[in-house]
Amino acid sequence: MKKYSNNIDFQLIQKAKNGNHGAFKILMNKYYPRVYASLFSFTKSREDSEDLAQQTFLKVWQQLDSFRGDSAFFTWIYRIAINLAKNYFSSSGFKKQKVNTSIEDTELDISSFDDIESIIIHSESLENIKNFINTLPETLKTSFVLRENDGKSYEEIANITNTPIGTVRSRIFRAREMVEEFINEQIINND
Amino acid sequence: MIDINEKISALYDGELKDSEIDDLIKIINEDKDLQKKLSFYNLIEFASNYNIKETEHINTKKIRIKDFLFNKIWFSNIITAAATVLLTLTVTNNNDFSRLDENIDSSNKITSAINSIEAQNIIKRSEEYLTDHIMRVLNDPSYMNSQENVDLRNVGFNYKNIGTNSYSKGNENVQLRIENNDFGLKKVRYWKHGNKMIYLIPIKGERLVTLYGNISISSALNIAESLNN
Repeated sequence: MKKYSNNIDFQLIQKAKNGNHGAFKILMNKYYPRVYASLFSFTKSREDSEDLAQQTFLKVWQQLDSFRGDSAFFTWIYRIAINLAKNYFSSSGFKKQKVNTSIEDTELDISSFDDIESIIIHSESLENIKNFINTLPETLKTSFVLRENDGKSYEEIANITNTPIGTVRSRIFRAREMVEEFINEQIINND
Repeated sequence: MIDINEKISALYDGELKDSEIDDLIKIINEDKDLQKKLSFYNLIEFASNYNIKETEHINTKKIRIKDFLFNKIWFSNIITAAATVLLTLTVTNNNDFSRLDENIDSSNKITSAINSIEAQNIIKRSEEYLTDHIMRVLNDPSYMNSQENVDLRNVGFNYKNIGTNSYSKGNENVQLRIENNDFGLKKVRYWKHGNKMIYLIPIKGERLVTLYGNISISSALNIAESLNN
């Protein structure tokens, strides 16, 4: 994960540790798709990946106090997810855990979005999105790629492109809006 | 006035002031569409860093992991065989030790410690960490993408700053990751994965460099040497 993204994660984690469920939910929304994709690459089952993703975030919530920030937050989540996925292969352990730990027993409301889950496991859809990103207007694409692929901060991008930070922020947002629109119109609606 | 969606975009990037975060958390938590937007941004980031070849690797992962485990077992068998020879030599030379005033009791304690469950667990755990590490190199594009670039021009590798955080020299492409050598590796270890290689090379300062790409062992060692300087 990117270092600037880590700062906000750290802030959200501190708030979550102080009992702010909303802050934790933001983190879940932020990382759910990638956790789901990682788990799907192990299980090849949508249902099991969803169960495992929920178990992952439940564990993350339960163990949040033990997260010291030595690694990026996503790396920590990923490790928990992978360990759960390993247990999945010794299926009896996983099934036992599924029965014993129910997400409904907690105060967590873990949102998942079926359409996003569908896209993230289909290489063709991901390729289409990537190809669309390449067609973005040059000014938007440059800021977007410097952020998403190179992990540059807004300030660094502003220096590289010689534009004000506010413009960088707006360009990255507009690029994302265009990509989101493409996904809604060309991928989700075409299914 | 800045659009709420633009604020969420800035929040996703970690570019929002602390004073703006609390209000935004409340707003997002009351609106399912805004929650979905964060997940959308994560999907877009994933797609943006997506590499079709990575997926091919994921699809062939089970076979490769089997290969990896097979190699490990093969390697372990060699170690076991070597250990057996050493133990045999130790046993047959115990008389010599006594003649040279070696402390047999200490030798036995060391042998016992090496063969203890605790020691074996430590070895097993470090192998598990290593397996985790390799799996993350293969499956998580951001894992190899998470660090600042280093200057490798002295060994002919140029930083490719658009698209992927990688280095290239002619036909060779490689991503690298440097971290503390928590695996305790003393020697170079490497694995073949499709047409790519993964090299784990201990470098100065108790660090370890992981190199992943279609590069030769000599290039990998050159990069490691460059990092030592």
